[in-house]
Amino acid sequence: MTAPGESTIIEIRNVTKRYKDTTALDDVSLNIYGGKIYGLLGRNGAGKTTLMSVLTAQGFQTSGEIRVFGEHPYENDRVLSRICFIRESQKYPDDFSAEQAFASAALFFSNWDKAFARRLADDFQLPLKRRIKKLSRGQLSAVGVIIGLASRAEVTFFDEPYLGLDAVARQIFYDRLVEDYSEHQRTIILSSHLIDEVANLLEHVIVIDKGKIMIDDDAEAIRGSAFTVVGTGTRVAAFTAGREILHRESLASLASVSVQGRLSEGERAEAAELGLEVAPVSLQQLIVRRTMDPGPELSMNGAATELEVSP
Amino acid sequence: MNRIVNVARMQLINKWTFLGIPAVILAGAFLVTYLIWVLIPDGGPTVYSGAAQAVMWYFLALGIQSLTLTFPFSQAMSVSRRTFYIGTVGLFAVVALAISVLYYILGLIEVATNGWGQNGQLYALGWVAGSHAVVQILFYFIAMLALFMVGFWFATIYKRWRATGMLIVWIAIALVLLGLVALTTWQGWWPAVGAWFVAQTPLSVSGWVALFCAVLAAGSYLTLRRAEP
Amino acid sequence: MIDESRPIFMQIAELIENDIVDGALAEEAQVPSTNEFAAFYRINPATAAKGVNRLVDEGILYKKRGIGMFVATGARALLLDRRREEFFRQYVQPLAREARKLGIGKEQLAQMLSRSETGTETSERSVAQ
Repeated sequence: MTAPGESTIIEIRNVTKRYKDTTALDDVSLNIYGGKIYGLLGRNGAGKTTLMSVLTAQGFQTSGEIRVFGEHPYENDRVLSRICFIRESQKYPDDFSAEQAFASAALFFSNWDKAFARRLADDFQLPLKRRIKKLSRGQLSAVGVIIGLASRAEVTFFDEPYLGLDAVARQIFYDRLVEDYSEHQRTIILSSHLIDEVANLLEHVIVIDKGKIMIDDDAEAIRGSAFTVVGTGTRVAAFTAGREILHRESLASLASVSVQGRLSEGERAEAAELGLEVAPVSLQQLIVRRTMDPGPELSMNGAATELEVSP
Repeated sequence: MNRIVNVARMQLINKWTFLGIPAVILAGAFLVTYLIWVLIPDGGPTVYSGAAQAVMWYFLALGIQSLTLTFPFSQAMSVSRRTFYIGTVGLFAVVALAISVLYYILGLIEVATNGWGQNGQLYALGWVAGSHAVVQILFYFIAMLALFMVGFWFATIYKRWRATGMLIVWIAIALVLLGLVALTTWQGWWPAVGAWFVAQTPLSVSGWVALFCAVLAAGSYLTLRRAEP
Repeated sequence: MIDESRPIFMQIAELIENDIVDGALAEEAQVPSTNEFAAFYRINPATAAKGVNRLVDEGILYKKRGIGMFVATGARALLLDRRREEFFRQYVQPLAREARKLGIGKEQLAQMLSRSETGTETSERSVAQ
């Protein structure tokens, strides 16, 4: 596979977006490189859609700078024509059918693949002639997914694309995404809160929480970057002493502590000798640990302050 | 440029919105009016019908719909606001011009056939029909454009500031009108105002409405520039 | 299958290695493409490529330009050597260390090992009784 190089295609510098009483993006700075599948992960309301809106000039930042392909995206057809962003709550003209929405996309996306769109519509069993207004939530999501995939835009944003899609349809989406990306490499930014489902598809992970970037790292670097130790409280405490603790839980004399970092083979052996169980922390768990409000049961052990780790 | 044309093509994907429904309204208004003239035997003076205006009111609704639904979709199609605006208003202008020419031609036929053989008056409105062809066409064209722009701008305002924005705009319009009425009354200008209205010709009215259109067009463009889908 | 505990590219490399060690992938046989791996395991193609490229760097696979990826001659021997070395470090060394702690002599250890070879039969017999 020949990657189109590590060129920065999107630069975000100190971007803040404020609504009346909330700060949706809080001084965000990021670089997005070409040719990768990015995961934009975070809870509902974390700022994922706002960030994508601002990047595509569909929305406006309160302050900060954005460059897409080296230029301002706002009112810039040259830049916009290389981008595709279908919102999760995308509106379509009232009288449009899916087929007409696709005909429209064919006008604006120069790489549009009509046959691929047809095939996807078959896969998702999408009625092409029915008015979009009358489609179910899942079928509506399918329309957006198909436009996103078949547009083959250089940068394609998927905004929680699976709402209302059942497990089978979601799997179809992930499969088609991987297949098509293999053939036509481009930058995909997949926003999701179903982290377990998409984790393996991602090359790079951006985690956003309360408008701030919590994690911006290679997916492979994150995998296995944290582990959980379970066992007798005192032994767990001794073993995890001096490590960056993400989460702590206890039940009677048992303790379960999630720790940032990797274990050497020697340390694994040591843990085994102490009768401690060591389990990997999945991406989803890691994100939950890092974005969770410190609950009262945590502050009891003094772990609450340690939750506020910065990446 | 190509993308502007594509915006117009996008608006025409559903042929009904910009072409079909106006055509149906035009034909329907004529047929219904004609039927009424035939069924109700008349004894003397010209029978005027306002049915021809129907299609103009549809353009008000079209202006609203173009913005509320097609604008968010155009954003998903990666079209800039400027391109969307020029493409949409441009397409509408072409359609409005075509219908204006049609009105003029129908007006000629109406006069030639003695009001469709029924002494009716649907297109050749007495006050306008006497004017030069260009003035007639311009008059219809500007009127249609004004209605479209009114719908378009109000929808843009709603899009950006929701119900609060609409309320403020309506209150502002009401206050300005009331202020003008009060001022006119206070200064005793009513006879002058009346005289001014009487003095207007189709051409001068077209001019004033065109000015109004220009304000609306600039207003809707500036409002749209910062609208979020 | 792919799990979340370790980098996926390492797991892909191991899956291919396993197939070479147990003979499922013969030497000079063609290895599935990275895209096929990506589609099959539903993983990022770049990640799959990273796993395959690691084996190329180690001389276990080699690229035929425009055709694909093949198992190198001698790959199996190379892997077996490496696995034996790993086996020694991971199992034999701790075993020997533990045996020394418990005062188990070399001969006794050897005896225990040969007993464990028949261990399965013994346990089966005890179940039958």
